[in-house]
Amino acid sequence: MSGTESVAFDTPLRERRADTFAMWVFIGSEAMLFGAIFLVFLVAHIDFGPAFAAASKRLSLPLGTLNTAVLITSSFTMALAHMLALHRHWRPTIWALVATAALGLCFLIVKGIEYGKEISEGLAPLLGLPFRYAGPDPVHAEFFFGLYFTMTSLHALHLIGGIVVIAGMIALWPTSSPANRLRRVVAVGLYWHFVDIIWVFMFPVLYLINR
Amino acid sequence: MSELRKLTFGYLGLLALLTLTVGSSFVDLGGFNVALNLAIAAAKAILIAMLFMHLTGTLPRLAVAAAGLWLVILFGLTLIGR
Repeated sequence: MSGTESVAFDTPLRERRADTFAMWVFIGSEAMLFGAIFLVFLVAHIDFGPAFAAASKRLSLPLGTLNTAVLITSSFTMALAHMLALHRHWRPTIWALVATAALGLCFLIVKGIEYGKEISEGLAPLLGLPFRYAGPDPVHAEFFFGLYFTMTSLHALHLIGGIVVIAGMIALWPTSSPANRLRRVVAVGLYWHFVDIIWVFMFPVLYLINR
Repeated sequence: MSELRKLTFGYLGLLALLTLTVGSSFVDLGGFNVALNLAIAAAKAILIAMLFMHLTGTLPRLAVAAAGLWLVILFGLTLIGR
Protein backbone atom coordinates (compact mmCIF):
# COMPACT_ATOMS: atom_id res chain seq x y z
CA MET A 1 0.00 0.00 0.00
CA SER A 2 1.48 3.32 -1.08
CA GLY A 3 -0.54 5.56 1.25
CA THR A 4 -2.44 7.39 -1.46
CA GLU A 5 -6.20 7.78 -1.41
CA SER A 6 -6.58 7.31 -5.17
CA VAL A 7 -5.01 4.49 -7.20
CA ALA A 8 -4.10 7.07 -9.85
CA PHE A 9 -1.02 8.20 -7.92
CA ASP A 10 2.23 6.39 -7.21
CA THR A 11 3.21 8.44 -4.18
CA PRO A 12 1.47 10.66 -1.60
CA LEU A 13 3.61 13.59 -2.78
CA ARG A 14 2.29 13.29 -6.34
CA GLU A 15 -1.26 13.09 -5.02
CA ARG A 16 -0.73 16.22 -2.93
CA ARG A 17 0.76 18.10 -5.92
CA ALA A 18 -2.25 17.15 -8.04
CA ASP A 19 -4.59 18.24 -5.24
CA THR A 20 -2.84 21.57 -4.91
CA PHE A 21 -3.03 22.27 -8.64
CA ALA A 22 -6.72 21.33 -8.69
CA MET A 23 -7.38 23.67 -5.77
CA TRP A 24 -5.70 26.54 -7.61
CA VAL A 25 -7.83 25.86 -10.71
CA PHE A 26 -10.93 25.82 -8.49
CA ILE A 27 -9.81 29.08 -6.88
CA GLY A 28 -9.41 30.54 -10.37
CA SER A 29 -13.02 29.63 -11.18
CA GLU A 30 -14.16 31.17 -7.90
CA ALA A 31 -12.24 34.32 -8.82
CA MET A 32 -14.42 34.53 -11.97
CA LEU A 33 -17.58 34.44 -9.84
CA PHE A 34 -16.42 37.12 -7.42
CA GLY A 35 -14.71 39.09 -10.20
CA ALA A 36 -18.01 39.46 -12.06
CA ILE A 37 -19.73 40.80 -8.94
CA PHE A 38 -16.88 43.21 -8.23
CA LEU A 39 -17.18 44.41 -11.84
CA VAL A 40 -20.91 45.12 -11.39
CA PHE A 41 -20.06 47.09 -8.26
CA LEU A 42 -17.28 49.01 -10.06
CA VAL A 43 -19.52 50.01 -12.98
CA ALA A 44 -22.32 51.05 -10.60
CA HIS A 45 -19.82 53.01 -8.53
CA ILE A 46 -18.62 54.87 -11.63
CA ASP A 47 -22.22 55.75 -12.57
CA PHE A 48 -23.68 56.51 -9.14
CA GLY A 49 -20.61 57.62 -7.15
CA PRO A 50 -22.22 60.21 -4.85
CA ALA A 51 -25.19 57.95 -3.96
CA PHE A 52 -22.81 55.05 -3.23
CA ALA A 53 -20.56 57.30 -1.13
CA ALA A 54 -23.47 58.46 1.04
CA ALA A 55 -24.84 54.93 1.43
CA SER A 56 -21.41 53.46 2.26
CA LYS A 57 -21.11 55.80 5.25
CA ARG A 58 -24.08 54.02 6.85
CA LEU A 59 -22.07 50.78 7.19
CA SER A 60 -20.29 50.13 10.49
CA LEU A 61 -16.57 50.75 9.93
CA PRO A 62 -15.59 49.50 13.46
CA LEU A 63 -17.39 46.17 12.95
CA GLY A 64 -16.02 45.83 9.41
CA THR A 65 -12.48 46.50 10.64
CA LEU A 66 -12.91 44.05 13.53
CA ASN A 67 -14.10 41.37 11.13
CA THR A 68 -11.16 41.95 8.79
CA ALA A 69 -8.77 41.47 11.72
CA VAL A 70 -10.66 38.31 12.79
CA LEU A 71 -10.44 36.82 9.30
CA ILE A 72 -6.74 37.68 8.91
CA THR A 73 -6.12 35.98 12.27
CA SER A 74 -8.04 32.89 11.08
CA SER A 75 -5.80 32.76 7.99
CA PHE A 76 -2.78 32.91 10.30
CA THR A 77 -4.04 29.98 12.41
CA MET A 78 -4.76 28.06 9.19
CA ALA A 79 -1.19 28.72 8.01
CA LEU A 80 -0.02 27.44 11.43
CA ALA A 81 -2.09 24.28 10.92
CA HIS A 82 -0.33 23.73 7.57
CA MET A 83 3.10 24.25 9.14
CA LEU A 84 2.32 21.93 12.07
CA ALA A 85 0.90 19.23 9.77
CA LEU A 86 4.08 19.34 7.65
CA HIS A 87 6.03 18.55 10.83
CA ARG A 88 3.47 15.91 11.79
CA HIS A 89 2.56 17.60 15.07
CA TRP A 90 -0.99 16.29 14.79
CA ARG A 91 -2.50 17.43 18.08
CA PRO A 92 -1.46 21.09 17.70
CA THR A 93 -2.64 20.89 14.07
CA ILE A 94 -6.12 19.97 15.30
CA TRP A 95 -6.12 22.91 17.71
CA ALA A 96 -5.03 25.30 14.97
CA LEU A 97 -7.87 23.99 12.79
CA VAL A 98 -10.38 24.37 15.64
CA ALA A 99 -9.14 27.94 16.22
CA THR A 100 -9.53 28.69 12.50
CA ALA A 101 -13.12 27.42 12.42
CA ALA A 102 -13.92 29.26 15.69
CA LEU A 103 -12.58 32.53 14.26
CA GLY A 104 -14.66 31.92 11.13
CA LEU A 105 -17.68 31.52 13.40
CA CYS A 106 -16.76 34.78 15.18
CA PHE A 107 -16.70 36.52 11.79
CA LEU A 108 -20.19 35.20 11.01
CA ILE A 109 -21.54 36.31 14.41
CA VAL A 110 -20.17 39.85 13.96
CA LYS A 111 -21.57 39.90 10.41
CA GLY A 112 -24.92 38.78 11.84
CA ILE A 113 -24.85 41.63 14.38
CA GLU A 114 -24.09 44.03 11.52
CA TYR A 115 -26.96 42.64 9.42
CA GLY A 116 -29.29 42.99 12.41
CA LYS A 117 -28.28 46.62 12.84
CA GLU A 118 -28.79 47.38 9.15
CA ILE A 119 -32.16 45.62 9.07
CA SER A 120 -33.37 47.53 12.14
CA GLU A 121 -32.27 50.80 10.49
CA GLY A 122 -34.29 49.89 7.40
CA LEU A 123 -31.22 49.55 5.17
CA ALA A 124 -31.87 46.02 3.93
CA PRO A 125 -33.73 45.99 0.59
CA LEU A 126 -34.32 42.23 0.63
CA LEU A 127 -36.94 39.63 1.51
CA GLY A 128 -39.62 42.32 1.35
CA LEU A 129 -38.15 44.20 4.32
CA PRO A 130 -38.98 47.90 4.52
CA PHE A 131 -36.29 50.14 3.03
CA ARG A 132 -36.22 53.46 4.89
CA TYR A 133 -33.20 55.42 3.72
CA ALA A 134 -33.30 59.12 4.46
CA GLY A 135 -30.18 60.18 2.53
CA PRO A 136 -29.88 61.54 -1.02
CA ASP A 137 -30.79 59.43 -4.09
CA PRO A 138 -32.52 56.53 -2.26
CA VAL A 139 -33.02 54.56 -5.51
CA HIS A 140 -29.30 54.13 -6.09
CA ALA A 141 -28.60 53.80 -2.36
CA GLU A 142 -30.96 50.83 -2.46
CA PHE A 143 -28.83 49.43 -5.29
CA PHE A 144 -25.73 49.87 -3.12
CA PHE A 145 -27.28 47.99 -0.20
CA GLY A 146 -28.53 45.30 -2.56
CA LEU A 147 -24.97 44.79 -3.80
CA TYR A 148 -23.63 44.97 -0.24
CA PHE A 149 -25.93 42.18 0.95
CA THR A 150 -25.31 40.08 -2.19
CA MET A 151 -21.52 40.34 -1.92
CA THR A 152 -21.23 39.85 1.84
CA SER A 153 -23.76 37.00 1.99
CA LEU A 154 -22.04 35.18 -0.90
CA HIS A 155 -18.78 35.58 1.01
CA ALA A 156 -20.44 34.38 4.24
CA LEU A 157 -21.76 31.29 2.40
CA HIS A 158 -18.20 30.49 1.34
CA LEU A 159 -17.05 30.88 4.93
CA ILE A 160 -19.83 28.57 6.19
CA GLY A 161 -18.70 26.03 3.57
CA GLY A 162 -15.13 26.31 4.86
CA ILE A 163 -16.22 25.78 8.47
CA VAL A 164 -18.29 22.71 7.51
CA VAL A 165 -15.34 21.20 5.61
CA ILE A 166 -12.97 21.82 8.54
CA ALA A 167 -15.49 20.14 10.87
CA GLY A 168 -15.74 17.17 8.48
CA MET A 169 -11.96 16.95 8.24
CA ILE A 170 -11.67 16.85 12.03
CA ALA A 171 -14.40 14.20 12.21
CA LEU A 172 -12.47 11.99 9.74
CA TRP A 173 -9.14 12.75 11.45
CA PRO A 174 -8.78 9.58 13.63
CA THR A 175 -9.24 7.22 10.67
CA SER A 176 -7.08 9.20 8.21
CA SER A 177 -3.51 8.33 7.23
CA PRO A 178 -0.84 11.00 7.86
CA ALA A 179 -0.52 11.66 4.09
CA ASN A 180 -4.27 12.23 3.78
CA ARG A 181 -4.34 14.51 6.81
CA LEU A 182 -1.62 16.72 5.35
CA ARG A 183 -3.21 16.71 1.89
CA ARG A 184 -6.56 17.81 3.28
CA VAL A 185 -5.08 20.52 5.49
CA VAL A 186 -3.23 21.94 2.46
CA ALA A 187 -6.34 21.86 0.23
CA VAL A 188 -8.74 23.34 2.81
CA GLY A 189 -6.08 25.90 3.73
CA LEU A 190 -5.85 27.14 0.14
CA TYR A 191 -9.63 27.58 0.03
CA TRP A 192 -9.71 29.34 3.39
CA HIS A 193 -6.98 31.81 2.42
CA PHE A 194 -8.79 32.53 -0.84
CA VAL A 195 -11.99 33.39 1.05
CA ASP A 196 -9.85 35.69 3.22
CA ILE A 197 -8.40 37.39 0.10
CA ILE A 198 -11.93 38.01 -1.21
CA TRP A 199 -12.78 39.78 2.06
CA VAL A 200 -9.51 41.74 1.89
CA PHE A 201 -10.85 43.30 -1.34
CA MET A 202 -14.49 43.50 -0.24
CA PHE A 203 -13.69 45.44 2.91
CA PRO A 204 -12.12 48.54 1.29
CA VAL A 205 -14.49 48.41 -1.69
CA LEU A 206 -17.62 48.44 0.48
CA TYR A 207 -16.52 50.25 3.64
CA LEU A 208 -13.66 52.57 2.74
CA ILE A 209 -13.51 53.59 -0.90
CA ASN A 210 -16.54 55.84 -0.76
CA ARG A 211 -15.62 57.76 2.37
CA MET B 1 11.58 27.73 14.00
CA SER B 2 12.19 30.19 11.16
CA GLU B 3 8.97 29.13 9.40
CA LEU B 4 6.98 30.25 12.44
CA ARG B 5 8.80 33.58 12.50
CA LYS B 6 8.03 34.12 8.80
CA LEU B 7 4.32 33.43 9.32
CA THR B 8 4.19 35.69 12.38
CA PHE B 9 5.87 38.56 10.52
CA GLY B 10 3.43 38.06 7.65
CA TYR B 11 0.51 38.17 10.08
CA LEU B 12 1.78 41.34 11.78
CA GLY B 13 2.37 42.87 8.34
CA LEU B 14 -1.23 42.14 7.38
CA LEU B 15 -2.52 43.79 10.56
CA ALA B 16 -0.27 46.82 9.92
CA LEU B 17 -1.65 47.11 6.37
CA LEU B 18 -5.19 46.91 7.78
CA THR B 19 -4.41 49.78 10.18
CA LEU B 20 -2.91 51.75 7.29
CA THR B 21 -5.89 51.25 4.99
CA VAL B 22 -8.45 52.19 7.68
CA GLY B 23 -6.33 55.17 8.79
CA SER B 24 -5.94 56.44 5.23
CA SER B 25 -9.71 56.57 4.81
CA PHE B 26 -9.86 59.37 7.42
CA VAL B 27 -7.43 61.51 5.42
CA ASP B 28 -8.72 63.16 2.25
CA LEU B 29 -6.15 62.41 -0.46
CA GLY B 30 -8.44 63.46 -3.31
CA GLY B 31 -8.77 60.72 -5.92
CA PHE B 32 -5.71 59.01 -4.48
CA ASN B 33 -7.68 57.33 -1.65
CA VAL B 34 -9.20 54.74 -3.97
CA ALA B 35 -5.86 53.85 -5.57
CA LEU B 36 -4.17 53.58 -2.15
CA ASN B 37 -6.92 51.36 -0.70
CA LEU B 38 -6.78 49.02 -3.71
CA ALA B 39 -2.97 48.96 -3.68
CA ILE B 40 -3.01 47.98 0.01
CA ALA B 41 -5.61 45.27 -0.69
CA ALA B 42 -3.40 43.93 -3.49
CA ALA B 43 -0.35 43.97 -1.19
CA LYS B 44 -2.31 42.00 1.44
CA ALA B 45 -3.46 39.50 -1.19
CA ILE B 46 0.14 38.98 -2.38
CA LEU B 47 1.31 38.51 1.24
CA ILE B 48 -1.39 35.89 1.86
CA ALA B 49 -0.71 34.12 -1.46
CA MET B 50 3.07 33.95 -1.04
CA LEU B 51 3.39 33.32 2.71
CA PHE B 52 0.20 31.46 3.68
CA MET B 53 -0.73 29.75 0.40
CA HIS B 54 2.85 28.95 -0.69
CA LEU B 55 2.18 30.02 -4.25
CA THR B 56 5.15 28.27 -5.82
CA GLY B 57 5.60 25.81 -8.67
CA THR B 58 4.72 26.19 -12.31
CA LEU B 59 1.22 24.71 -12.33
CA PRO B 60 -0.31 26.76 -9.46
CA ARG B 61 1.19 29.92 -10.95
CA LEU B 62 -0.19 28.98 -14.36
CA ALA B 63 -3.69 28.62 -12.82
CA VAL B 64 -3.38 32.05 -11.17
CA ALA B 65 -2.06 33.64 -14.37
CA ALA B 66 -4.95 32.15 -16.37
CA ALA B 67 -7.50 33.48 -13.85
CA GLY B 68 -5.78 36.87 -13.92
CA LEU B 69 -5.84 36.95 -17.73
CA TRP B 70 -9.59 36.24 -17.83
CA LEU B 71 -10.26 38.88 -15.19
CA VAL B 72 -8.29 41.42 -17.25
CA ILE B 73 -10.38 40.51 -20.32
CA LEU B 74 -13.60 40.72 -18.25
CA PHE B 75 -12.81 44.11 -16.72
CA GLY B 76 -11.00 45.47 -19.78
CA LEU B 77 -13.65 44.77 -22.40
CA THR B 78 -16.46 45.91 -20.09
CA LEU B 79 -14.81 49.22 -19.30
CA ILE B 80 -13.61 49.85 -22.88
CA GLY B 81 -17.12 49.19 -24.19
CA ARG B 82 -18.66 51.93 -22.05
